[in-house]
Amino acid sequence: MSFKHYGSRKSGSIGWLLQRITGIFLIFAMVGHYILMHYTPETGHSYEQSVARFSSVYWKMFYLTFISLGLWHGLNGVWSILRDFKMKPWLAITLYGIIVISGFAFWVLGVSTALKF
Amino acid sequence: MKVTLRIFRFNPETDSKPYYKDYEIEADPKDRVIDVLHYIKNEIDGTLTFRRSCLHGICGSDGMRINGKNMLACSILLQDLGYSDANKTYKKPLVIEPLPGMPIIKDLVTDFTDFWKKYETVKPYLITKSQPPERERLQSPEDAELIMEASKCILCACCTTSCPSTWSNEDYLGPAALLKAYRFIFDSRDEATDERLDIIDTPNGIWRCHTIFHCVQACPKEINITWHISQLKKKLVEREI
Repeated sequence: MSFKHYGSRKSGSIGWLLQRITGIFLIFAMVGHYILMHYTPETGHSYEQSVARFSSVYWKMFYLTFISLGLWHGLNGVWSILRDFKMKPWLAITLYGIIVISGFAFWVLGVSTALKF
Repeated sequence: MKVTLRIFRFNPETDSKPYYKDYEIEADPKDRVIDVLHYIKNEIDGTLTFRRSCLHGICGSDGMRINGKNMLACSILLQDLGYSDANKTYKKPLVIEPLPGMPIIKDLVTDFTDFWKKYETVKPYLITKSQPPERERLQSPEDAELIMEASKCILCACCTTSCPSTWSNEDYLGPAALLKAYRFIFDSRDEATDERLDIIDTPNGIWRCHTIFHCVQACPKEINITWHISQLKKKLVEREI
């Protein structure tokens, strides 16, 4: 008798690929963040300087992309770690629900903040 | 030289829990671990139980945890473990344990039932649908080279039992089964690629591999298992998009 798997077939290939693509983006974003905020502090840490950055459409696009991809990468990573553990279906659904809802809430918060300026 | 072997012991018929027993023996740096285990079994304590068969790193029977690493007892010399001075009395014991994450039958003997079920799941045999040729199904040297390394697997389970993903999720297929899946998916003579990809493309299949590389470190045949699993992941992505 063959070994039985739990759950039906659900390809993780797209998630696996996106995790890598977003990871590469985040590496560059992290380097950019380091240069901007730590290596060249004269570029601005003050409220006014941050607002000035947010008023640029390019910076706004960057922050929106950063919020979306960073959240997706982080929360998909958490879900991937959780899936390593054998869980009862109700627990898996609950945790998945928490991740999706909190991810959406943080995304709305981040996007609304970025669009305010 | 004098070496102390600290061996994991457990007899489910008499012991309520496992314990470690020390055996101080005279050994040569060029003795293999399996040699000293044989010496203990034959000369000191006949109740010590472990698997072994060919004693030459081919059958994969004597996989065990030696000083915290999964390896074959027949393929490792004491001198390779740091016991290299023939005139010395070593205080640091050589710790021998069963492969982790498997039910223990007795002492160093573990239950491979689950391992074989997972192996069976990936259909470890050539599947063909076309008419067989008059002679054997031929393969070019280039195509053979693709599966050469994966074909070296001796199913000792050192990789699967060293994988943290396997420890946390007993339903995960594990590196050995995935390596076998690679061996047939990339075999130019096999005609069941989609069927095989469906088997590994499951929540407890290939996506539980997080490229931790423990399997690569543990493999006594030095197979780069993680690389082979990565090739399978790429194949699945190509199929999906």
